[in-house]
Amino acid sequence: MSILTVDDASISFGGVEALADVNVEIERGEIVGIIGPNGAGKTTLLNVICGMNLPDKGRITLDGTVITGWKPSRIAGMGLGRTFQTSQLFHGMSVLENMMVGMHLGSTSGLFAAAFHTKRMRDEEVMMCEKAMEALEFVGLAEFADRPGSALSFGQQRIVEIARTLINEPKVVLLDEPAIGLSVNRVAELDALLRRIRDEKGITLVMIEHVIRLVMGVSDRIVVLNSGRKIADGKPEEIRQDRQVIEAYLGAQVDA
Amino acid sequence: MKHLFGSRNFLIVLFGTLAVLPIFANQYTLFVSNLVMMYIILALGLNLLIGYAGQLAFANAAMFGIGAYGCGLLQVKLGMPFFVAAPGGAVIAMAVGTLMAFPALRLSGIYLALATLAFAQATQWAMLHWEAVTFGAGGFALEPLDFSPLPVSSAIGTFYMTWAVSLGLLLFASFAMRSRIGRAFVAMRDGEIAAEALGIDLLKYKAMAFAISGFYAGAAGALFVPILDFVSPESFDLFQMILHKSMVVVGGLGSIMGSVIGATLLVFLLEVLRDFKSTQEIAFGALLLGFVLFQPKGVVTFIRRWVPGWNEPLHYTDGTKQTKQAASTDEPVATEASEERT
Repeated sequence: MSILTVDDASISFGGVEALADVNVEIERGEIVGIIGPNGAGKTTLLNVICGMNLPDKGRITLDGTVITGWKPSRIAGMGLGRTFQTSQLFHGMSVLENMMVGMHLGSTSGLFAAAFHTKRMRDEEVMMCEKAMEALEFVGLAEFADRPGSALSFGQQRIVEIARTLINEPKVVLLDEPAIGLSVNRVAELDALLRRIRDEKGITLVMIEHVIRLVMGVSDRIVVLNSGRKIADGKPEEIRQDRQVIEAYLGAQVDA
Repeated sequence: MKHLFGSRNFLIVLFGTLAVLPIFANQYTLFVSNLVMMYIILALGLNLLIGYAGQLAFANAAMFGIGAYGCGLLQVKLGMPFFVAAPGGAVIAMAVGTLMAFPALRLSGIYLALATLAFAQATQWAMLHWEAVTFGAGGFALEPLDFSPLPVSSAIGTFYMTWAVSLGLLLFASFAMRSRIGRAFVAMRDGEIAAEALGIDLLKYKAMAFAISGFYAGAAGALFVPILDFVSPESFDLFQMILHKSMVVVGGLGSIMGSVIGATLLVFLLEVLRDFKSTQEIAFGALLLGFVLFQPKGVVTFIRRWVPGWNEPLHYTDGTKQTKQAASTDEPVATEASEERT
């Protein structure tokens, strides 16, 4: 059974159809790339999946549960992580604290447990701290744990954000242009990291990406959107040869 | 890490000094000390809401008033003893505060500020004109608080009660903000969308922030009643709001110790200027403006820089959202299909 399915999702904003009857099936343990020209509806598709936009029509299923119409925080609780196009680190906190916010759902201590410093709450803080450090070590940024989030380079911030979504052991993580603003060397590191997330953590990744070398190299499957419609869905080699995709996205300069 | 001038030692000295004050202080000093402790509660409550949770609300003075009126009127109109009426006043303020979380779900920034300001003005109007309940502009007086089974005078009893409540609420706020709850507040302030994507329920945490903040202001209001033995609308006007806001900003948004320092400093300034009533508003307005423009992180930034061992979590904010910064670096560096074509 697919881990994530989008059935006939449609949504329009003020008469503009951002998504039209889009069907996507994501299998467990896959890396799926979503590509398409600007305005194709890629980010809208992610927003619809994670509950930030309510589709006009259609159904989203995560690991067998229909999640359409749920609040984003509740969907996150079902095991869906998400990163954004712009850096979304919390700048008023250290990197470690940012990571610990990622553990919000994996912890339960309430206001009074915190205020009265109960043993359970302190144990939980220690557990969260350890998990946060583990996740930072996984992405190779443990040495920055005590820095303020804003002190990191843009590329490092993006990696911390990815690590922050991993800490709570999600089933699926949606990545919105993770390579944006990264230098060529950094893109290669990201490529390796994404493979490790899939292989070592068994987390399914859905990634919007414009860096074609990255998306073609790392993805098991690619979905192509154009003007809110899915125009292709297949292995990277097939997508490369797809005439419709070449016309819509890669441009006429590519030799057919 | 143990340092002589750490924030914990600062608190021990401050509250230790206050604890022995009644032995040698005169009535005026006790009154000012009461005000310091009461304003610490008010500044903390406002800081949790504005500085930590990032909700730009302007109803703190109204909540302060609701706590005071609640405490006073439950005694005068319903004949409740103070020790029932005071928590009652705080709980009423908390309930009203919680309701404000609902508009805060839809409104943010300046719109939330305007809505809460309108609410504060409506509360002020009710205090002035709903005479059947609130006794109108003249306010009402109460008997000095009687601690009778205990062998303490009204003034001394009130002082230690304020001492204990302010210390308790200070520790509560400090622990809560260092915890998972505090991190959820700061996450909500620094990026609602990302916070939600990480599973933070915005309604729940906004309601919690408004409720705690309302409770703090209400508790301060209830303590204000035996300090003055008099309740009147002018104690809870817009100037009060500016005063609370100044304390939080001067001390440092998103810093518990900042609120303690800000409240203490500004109460002293208030007392120095007491003979020049009309200058108070100008002075505090100017101070607020000056800090917002030139030192938006408050005096705690200096202390953090110069005092070793002042180890407080860095939850401060300068009021800017990070998305603005990120937007400038939006240009992809190594992207586009061109890379593939070559």
